[in-house]
Amino acid sequence: MTALLNLENVLFYIVICLYFLATLCYFLFIGLKRDALGKAAILIQTLGLALHTAALVCRGLGAGRLPLTNQYEFAASFAWGLCLVSLIFIHRFKFPVLGAFAAPVILLVIGYAAMQSREVRALMPALRSSWLGFHVSTAIIAYGSFGVSAVLGLIFLLRERMRDRGFWDLHVPAREKLDLISYRSVCLGLLFLSFTIITGAIWAEQAWGSYWSWDPKETWSLVTWLIYATYLHLRIRRGWKGKAAAIFAVVGFVCVLFTYVGVNTLLPGVHSYA
Amino acid sequence: MKKLWKFLGSMRFAILLLVILAAACAGGSFIPQGLDFQAYAARYSERTAGLILALGLEDVFHCWWFLLLTAFLCGNLLLCNLSRLPQLMKRTKAAADPAQLSAPSVTLEGLRDPDPVFAALRMPKPREGADPQGRTLRWSVKNPVGLWGAWVCHLGILLLILGFALGQATKEEYTVYGVPGQTKQVGDSPYALCIRDFRVEREADGAVAQYSAELTVLDLSDPGDPLAVDTTASVNHPGSAFGFKLYQNSMGDAATLTVRWDGETVQETVLCVGEHATLMDTPLALLLGSVIREGEAVGYGYQIYVGEELYDRNVQWEGDLIPDFQPYQVSFSQARAYTLIQMKRDRFTPLALLGGLITLLGLFLAFYLQTCKLWAVREADGSWTLRGSSPKGGALFAERLREAAREAETKRS
Ligand code: HEM
Repeated sequence: MTALLNLENVLFYIVICLYFLATLCYFLFIGLKRDALGKAAILIQTLGLALHTAALVCRGLGAGRLPLTNQYEFAASFAWGLCLVSLIFIHRFKFPVLGAFAAPVILLVIGYAAMQSREVRALMPALRSSWLGFHVSTAIIAYGSFGVSAVLGLIFLLRERMRDRGFWDLHVPAREKLDLISYRSVCLGLLFLSFTIITGAIWAEQAWGSYWSWDPKETWSLVTWLIYATYLHLRIRRGWKGKAAAIFAVVGFVCVLFTYVGVNTLLPGVHSYA
Repeated sequence: MKKLWKFLGSMRFAILLLVILAAACAGGSFIPQGLDFQAYAARYSERTAGLILALGLEDVFHCWWFLLLTAFLCGNLLLCNLSRLPQLMKRTKAAADPAQLSAPSVTLEGLRDPDPVFAALRMPKPREGADPQGRTLRWSVKNPVGLWGAWVCHLGILLLILGFALGQATKEEYTVYGVPGQTKQVGDSPYALCIRDFRVEREADGAVAQYSAELTVLDLSDPGDPLAVDTTASVNHPGSAFGFKLYQNSMGDAATLTVRWDGETVQETVLCVGEHATLMDTPLALLLGSVIREGEAVGYGYQIYVGEELYDRNVQWEGDLIPDFQPYQVSFSQARAYTLIQMKRDRFTPLALLGGLITLLGLFLAFYLQTCKLWAVREADGSWTLRGSSPKGGALFAERLREAAREAETKRS
């Protein structure tokens, strides 16, 4: 068990180095406008994701449970989710520049994980539920997708300034397409956030006898859900596409981050452990 | 009047409600809930405290305006879904009707064979007919059910809120605590709860793994014929009886208070920490404040009251007596755990759950089963003109279609 946790420790630091290297490569890729650097960055990020997956598996086996139960594990998994969703979008839309914006965010989140306590502690009985796995893993995908949509929103806002026609046109989709990809990402996020809320409610019902009790984390996940629902309706109703939608995606993600970090630190509740 | 109805069912109103509700929820999470004027005044200022109470912000999620907004949201969802139903049915029917193929978002001319494009976009097998000008027409519609996504999602939200509201209004909820061997009346209900056993399971390192209570629920509505159901409640695995769910909510310390007179037991009461008992027919009350464990030794922190007045507080160790009551011999003993069981009956939880699942289904339909249509017309020169539309696919759909057509043509040549 300790051998696995030690291995996880080593892998975790290698993963941080790889993400750092990937970020550097992405920056050089857009700075020097060399395609090879972009390809190398994607490769390094993919390798990082593979080792990150291995680290999480080691942690899970070492601790004898899903590695999703405290601040460190959730932050590490959040970074994993961001990395996975961004790579999916990079491949699906042939869009390496997305990596240059996503990689620093991943680095930030995994850096936050590195600052948390890594101790493996016994779980309180309420956390020993198979619903926990569904609840947290869907949250990771949701947060990852919202992160990617915010990054895409940022790229959208900067797209006009990307003047060097050849390079940017080749590597960054046109604004209309960027807007649609960001929208797709919000859709993925909202679907998974809904899963998170519902599995969380089912679990809370079994553990605490109440599926909704207006706990700050619950309330903020609802606020996030309402904000993204508003985003979808504004898109339809007012044709709030493009710039307004991009700003909305960024604001939505700030709300996600508040739900994730702010609520734990600023507002007390049953989610104080993660 | 008609205008008002229209507004109440409109998406504009929905957006307004969603924004206000989001803001109210956010606000409610920042203002500590359930405090009184003094507490708010101490935290903020008297003026702010007055404002908080006047606006109901001390209980945002249950105050009248929050409930009203939620009711408006339900009305809004209902009106919106009702008004869109005929139109949706028409659109679903139209999806299969070749005469309704119009408003393409992409048009590609001069194709030699449209079939590979249908295949590349994973469209259902195209059907063949004739267009109004008599030309050969091949068409295919994918995911017409996707049109229903938003409608299904809204229905789910409606059921979810309805289930939650009905549950809140009608649920029966009691808490009962006690030690094994005790049978307690469940609030003002005709039920009683017998705690047969309570176990704390621990890991090798002493950490608590699980709390489990063996329970019997008695239905005493007909005293001549009481009904009994045995069940087990542990954390994450509630028990059930008579439509109630029984939750192992928490635990604490308890002890037995024994009063002897001349060596004979004259009073024996089980006290959980925080509870008190009046001693015989005296004005004295004894409160169990805590149970202390130091190595093997067990101590009982107690407080003695005369009427409302605190008279003394101290610790009595196992085996000793509390000195203040001579000639009575008063002592605590048998420290053990009590269990706190929450009993709840909410008949509308399944409705809320159903609403949640329908919402998920709706979101999936809306986002991942996007409706698209593809149709090709054979021109006089034998080439095909391909048209497609996908209301939500936009530029991405157009791009995929163009790519598929390009690939099909290069393969052919
Ligand atoms: C409160 C009253 C609401 C009303 C009156 C309303 C109305 C509408 C309308 C008219 C559409 C357009 C559907 C279409 O064009 O096919 C729509 C779409 C949608 N609504 Fe609502 N809505 C409400 C609340 C909500 C809420 C709370 C959610 C929560 C997530 C939601 C989720 C959606 C989704 C996912 C779509 C489809 C969006 C898309 O496909 O891009 N709605 N809504």
